[in-house]
Amino acid sequence: MCAIIDANVAHEAFGENATPAGAGFRNWINMGSGRLAVGGSLMREMEQSAPGFREWAIQARLSGKMRVADDGEIANRTATLREAGLCRSDDHHVIALAQVSGARLLYSNDQNLHRDFRNKLLIDNPRGSVYSTLESKDFSRNRQRQLRRPNLCASAS
Amino acid sequence: MNSVRLKNYRCFRDEQTAKLAPLTLLVGDNSTGKTSFLAMMRALWDVFFEFRIPDFKEEPYDLGSYDEIAHHRGGRSGRADGFEAGFSDKFWMGRKSEKFDFDVRFGKSGSAPIPVRTRTESKDAWIEDNFAPGEPRKVRIGTDRGAWENAATPESDDPYIIDDRFTLPRQLPVRFYLRHPHGLNPIGDSPAPGQEDVDEAKNLDQPRFPLTAGSRPRRPFASAPVRSKPRRTYDPSRAIADPEGDYIPMYLARVYFSDKKTWARLKDGLEKFGHDAGLFDEISVKALGRRESDPFQIVVRKYGGRLKGPLRNLADVGYGVSQALPLITELLRGRGAGDMFLLQQPEVHLHPSAQAALGSLFCRTAGRNRQLIVETHSDHLIDRVRMDVRDSVSNLKPSDVSILYFQREGLEVKIHSLGIDGEGNILNAPDDYRSFFMEEISRSLWRR
Repeated sequence: MCAIIDANVAHEAFGENATPAGAGFRNWINMGSGRLAVGGSLMREMEQSAPGFREWAIQARLSGKMRVADDGEIANRTATLREAGLCRSDDHHVIALAQVSGARLLYSNDQNLHRDFRNKLLIDNPRGSVYSTLESKDFSRNRQRQLRRPNLCASAS
Repeated sequence: MNSVRLKNYRCFRDEQTAKLAPLTLLVGDNSTGKTSFLAMMRALWDVFFEFRIPDFKEEPYDLGSYDEIAHHRGGRSGRADGFEAGFSDKFWMGRKSEKFDFDVRFGKSGSAPIPVRTRTESKDAWIEDNFAPGEPRKVRIGTDRGAWENAATPESDDPYIIDDRFTLPRQLPVRFYLRHPHGLNPIGDSPAPGQEDVDEAKNLDQPRFPLTAGSRPRRPFASAPVRSKPRRTYDPSRAIADPEGDYIPMYLARVYFSDKKTWARLKDGLEKFGHDAGLFDEISVKALGRRESDPFQIVVRKYGGRLKGPLRNLADVGYGVSQALPLITELLRGRGAGDMFLLQQPEVHLHPSAQAALGSLFCRTAGRNRQLIVETHSDHLIDRVRMDVRDSVSNLKPSDVSILYFQREGLEVKIHSLGIDGEGNILNAPDDYRSFFMEEISRSLWRR
């Protein structure tokens, strides 16, 4: 059950004042079946956005809760995506990470990135799913159900 | 060994298979069967290579009698009437490797567990030896053409007591039975065994009856979690291996006095580890007389910047030095060392930096010809292994490392085989793997 969290909302899950939706997402990784995929520039952005993330990441990595993708592979895939011009957002590296790691859940509030993540031409088998807190920060039943979905991972390519 | 199977043994009820690698780390809570797992590995080795009845009370393990060893859930469910274990491995036939499986069923004789059946299988050929006390011994052999049973066996007395208390009835190479099939009865419609059966079954003999002299591996080196206390002065005596490493000072002295070349190589290795671990920079043997029979001391020196400082007696430095010395000496001594190491908590008494250095040493010394099975509670050791593999510091590849997580599930324990990938990620971890640490770090960072 692999997920990617956008650096812009990292504070919601890994900040001092985590939102209910963010804390629920974090607990899903800490105690549940969630796994976080990071890599490339996203790792550095996360460390800047949420100061606690680095310490958490050390334990999460040892626990198999966080997987780091190969930087070189992310860079190559990012360059290919830029050339293809299919992305509406400027977060090619996030899409690249999803393609490389197989993560199919995105925690983000960037609507352009939402569209890219749901674009079948970019993310498929299974399709991407978005965990957004634009409208509400609650850890609602819908969100809990979303995290229980079985098809949040593809075999890494 | 590539994998180990267990069933109804100690806390392992259901049959399960654990993947082994050149470096295998056993992790999990206390009392989840890690030491029992190590004890069974040595037991399997004893049965397979030495036709020996394993002693589950032999140091450094003490698993008790049959009643403590066979799985027992308590209450009405009773105790298992036998337990099973086995391993899979490969052996080399020229450039080709062949897989074989070896399984043992243990029964009860008096209060002790004893093997009552062994089975070796490779490709389509197999041999099964049944030798329960008081029952006729039966050897069954099969290939893809048929199966045969040795019916010419006398009623078996209790061979373990009459013959040699610790030895199993000797099994002959399969090729012997098939080439001299007078006593073999076909099972079912099987034809008489022919040359093709001999050819097919020869794979079974190779690992157990190697044709090349000296190709049989040495008995596993099994270390105790706590090693012997250092002494200020040692009297020379025979260096007889023991799990607590009591013999190591004698061994070091013997090499120091009699084999300068080996000593130089060993000293170099010990000092490199000592330096990396922050334990010592120099090690030597100090003779207290001119004769070989005179006492000696083991001395170490830790540099202080540019100052060399004094040589200190092993008894005068931190306990970690004397506790680590037996293990690192065994790992580094080269010729004469074991092919398989069964280590219990090698990190005991070591500072985290020394624990990490031990992880690097394991990565350097584990390989195709040397298997290390390490029971550990050290994050520092595991993390160093993970990083060394990721960064290709040694020849160890991700597939050369296996992490076995012993997870308690009610009254039973399940073994999960975890792996490491080229990025140093931990693979196949169950959801609750290291949940204690995740809870602690979350509480530390974000309170409750």
